[in-house]
Amino acid sequence: MSEDWEPKIVSFFCNWCTYGAADLAGVSRFEHPANTRVIRLPCSGRVSPKFILAALREGADGVWVSGCHPGDCHYIEGNYYARRKFALFKNLLEYMGVEPERVHFSWISSAEATKYVDVAKEVIESVRKLGPNTRFVKHKAKVA
Amino acid sequence: MLGYTDKIKEISERLLKEGKVDMVIGFKKGTMPMMNEPCVIKKAEDAGKLVWDSNCGINLANYLTDRKEKIGIIAKGCDSRNIATHIVENKIRRDQLVIIGVPCKGMIDRHKIASMSETEILSVTDAGDEIIVKAEDSEKTLKKAEVLQKNCAVCTHRNPVIYDELVADLVEEQKDADRYADVREIEAMSAEEKWKYFDDLLAPCIRCYACRNACPLCYCPTCFVDESRPQWVGKSTDPMDTRTFHFLRAYHCAGRCTDCGSCERACPAGINIRVLTKKLEKDCFESYGWEAGLTTEDRPPLDTYKLNDPEDFIK
Amino acid sequence: MKVIKIDKKDWAGGLGKLSDAYRLFGPVKDKDVSDFKELAAGELPDFDFLNTNLSAKSAVFPQNEVMFEYSLDESQEDHHIMKEPEKDYSPRAVIGIRPCDAAAFLLVKRNFDTPEYKDPYWIRAYEASTFVGLACNDPGKTCFCTTAGCGPFHEDGLDVLIADAGDHFLAKAITEKGEALLQAAGWGAEADGGQIETMKKAAEAKISSTVSTDSLKDKVTTELYDASFWEDTAFACLNCGTCTYVCPTCWCFDIQDENYGKAGIRMRNWDSCMYPLFTIHGSGHNPRGTKTQRVRQRFMHKLKYYVDKYGAGIQCVGCGRCVRLCPVNIDIREVCEFMNSYDPAATTCKAA
Repeated sequence: MSEDWEPKIVSFFCNWCTYGAADLAGVSRFEHPANTRVIRLPCSGRVSPKFILAALREGADGVWVSGCHPGDCHYIEGNYYARRKFALFKNLLEYMGVEPERVHFSWISSAEATKYVDVAKEVIESVRKLGPNTRFVKHKAKVA
Repeated sequence: MLGYTDKIKEISERLLKEGKVDMVIGFKKGTMPMMNEPCVIKKAEDAGKLVWDSNCGINLANYLTDRKEKIGIIAKGCDSRNIATHIVENKIRRDQLVIIGVPCKGMIDRHKIASMSETEILSVTDAGDEIIVKAEDSEKTLKKAEVLQKNCAVCTHRNPVIYDELVADLVEEQKDADRYADVREIEAMSAEEKWKYFDDLLAPCIRCYACRNACPLCYCPTCFVDESRPQWVGKSTDPMDTRTFHFLRAYHCAGRCTDCGSCERACPAGINIRVLTKKLEKDCFESYGWEAGLTTEDRPPLDTYKLNDPEDFIK
Repeated sequence: MKVIKIDKKDWAGGLGKLSDAYRLFGPVKDKDVSDFKELAAGELPDFDFLNTNLSAKSAVFPQNEVMFEYSLDESQEDHHIMKEPEKDYSPRAVIGIRPCDAAAFLLVKRNFDTPEYKDPYWIRAYEASTFVGLACNDPGKTCFCTTAGCGPFHEDGLDVLIADAGDHFLAKAITEKGEALLQAAGWGAEADGGQIETMKKAAEAKISSTVSTDSLKDKVTTELYDASFWEDTAFACLNCGTCTYVCPTCWCFDIQDENYGKAGIRMRNWDSCMYPLFTIHGSGHNPRGTKTQRVRQRFMHKLKYYVDKYGAGIQCVGCGRCVRLCPVNIDIREVCEFMNSYDPAATTCKAA
């Protein structure tokens, strides 16, 4: 790991909550590290395991998925389905040897700018501790 | 399971003769030891081709997908659970089916038996609780319990869960089977060891998709491996592509897999791929109290939720 | 050509010498499964096998092969230009290939090396290769090579045929390439060729499995195509690619581009006519959209189209791999019998 390595985090945020929280954190001039690249989705229920794997395969050092608190889903129950999907997904990912701290999930409402900043720091720091991602990264095929 | 064959023939012949079904899906004798071939019987006089022994490990529910006919289908415990899953997922209607239930005592592991013999095996025959293996210059009698397919050894649903006819009395279910010993062993490893374990496990994979295609759950019109916009996984045997394929294949079976073992049986490279689907089976059981295919009423676990589902991994 | 006796104690030493002049490929056993791999320094091919799971075709036609490399980085002068990567086409020797796999290369050659089209990758690798065959003293129950234009001691396609005679090998040089290899290994003790003939007869007598192919060429293609047996034959098929991947004579491939940020490769990978994607059109229409059509294509190609196109027998060498490894026991020997004995008049009458 080189001295100036910075983790790259791909974040999948629900449009109705965490995306707003990130916006609010910005407008409120809360300082936080700039290691995440945000992808805005209509709901955490829209997050397919394929998205998370694709991020890791393309070389992301960490993935962060965040949506509305249970009960607050704009579509009533999208995050309830997502919760089960993520639980099984994260378990299987760890079972296959990916470090638990690579992939993070959170519930952050659009009013929780401070929680957003805290979780962002936590996510980035835990990935930084792990170092660059080496697992599930697709490298150039070998010449046969 | 001696004597099952006669009863299967009798029931099938009757159903076809009485016009209750258009076809019966079952097994016919294969051309190789330890292989029976799934087949379809459409005429009563052909029912005599049907057989049943310890080599009927392929899951016949796989052959029901989107069929329109009235079908008689031979179903052991796991097949019947996948039929139930098919009904829940609208891949077949219950009223199209006459399910000929087979109380099962387990299928034998063809990879294992082949590797136990020095020379080529000429024939393998059932003899009650024993299996007689004839090779070029030897004849061995094995205890069936010791050469069962790994999933059969820990099976707790040997009897069909739904059926219209039965070929024999129900068998006693296995009570004290430790279903997840191998999963726990992997769970106890460090991340590093786990990664290495699956590297080794998946190295012989040739991406033939036999595991996917042998699975009754895999019926998507376009599989994710064939999607190209975007392309989620490469087509080569690059270890990361192979791993991505197996990860997503297993995940797609989450809460639906009945551990029928067809995938593992079909694998030409003999890869123990059930360790992936079983992890999901275990999690569904432990977190949501769910076992797939036991009813045709309940929604599968990823199609429903509870307000208080576990979420300690979410910040 | 002459027959050389190789004492088994000189085997490893000879291979050691060969490894200076050739890249060595041979059967290697991993978890009970034999497959062809490039041998590491000092590694010996493991001859304890009936046949490998995958055929030896990968030594010339790898499952994944890079054809071009490119850069999308516009700051580089040669961006967006496809360039052939440097590859190792130095002499290679495939040690322990079964005669059926070697004969298969000759069938495949009709496709990859024609007057009109030449596949440069296949041809270069093929020409760089010397095939040292291991004769089958004990052919398997699913081997039907003798009726598929091949045999346990078949020589076509091989450069050297080696037969295991207990404490020594008998090596018969078949081509000049083969003779050069034997010389390079330092094996030169001449032996009597008669013993190989005896062993060959004994081995051929052990083949118990056969196919009949004599009438295939006289069948009407469209009648076979419309035959009623295809549906039953294909019923059990899962449409996995096992049969095609393990087959020494299946040559189809698919071309893929893979991008890695600002660089990428164009590669070819084995493909299979069992997959719906094999024939699907850009429009979404699939001319071979059902399982039965795809199964029919595989057998018609091997046992009818090839026969008619080249007039040189079936596109099968009888190695029996697809029979042994098919998850649902679809047996080419049975299908060949159906096709060879197909009588449209008889089936029409029965149906009516």
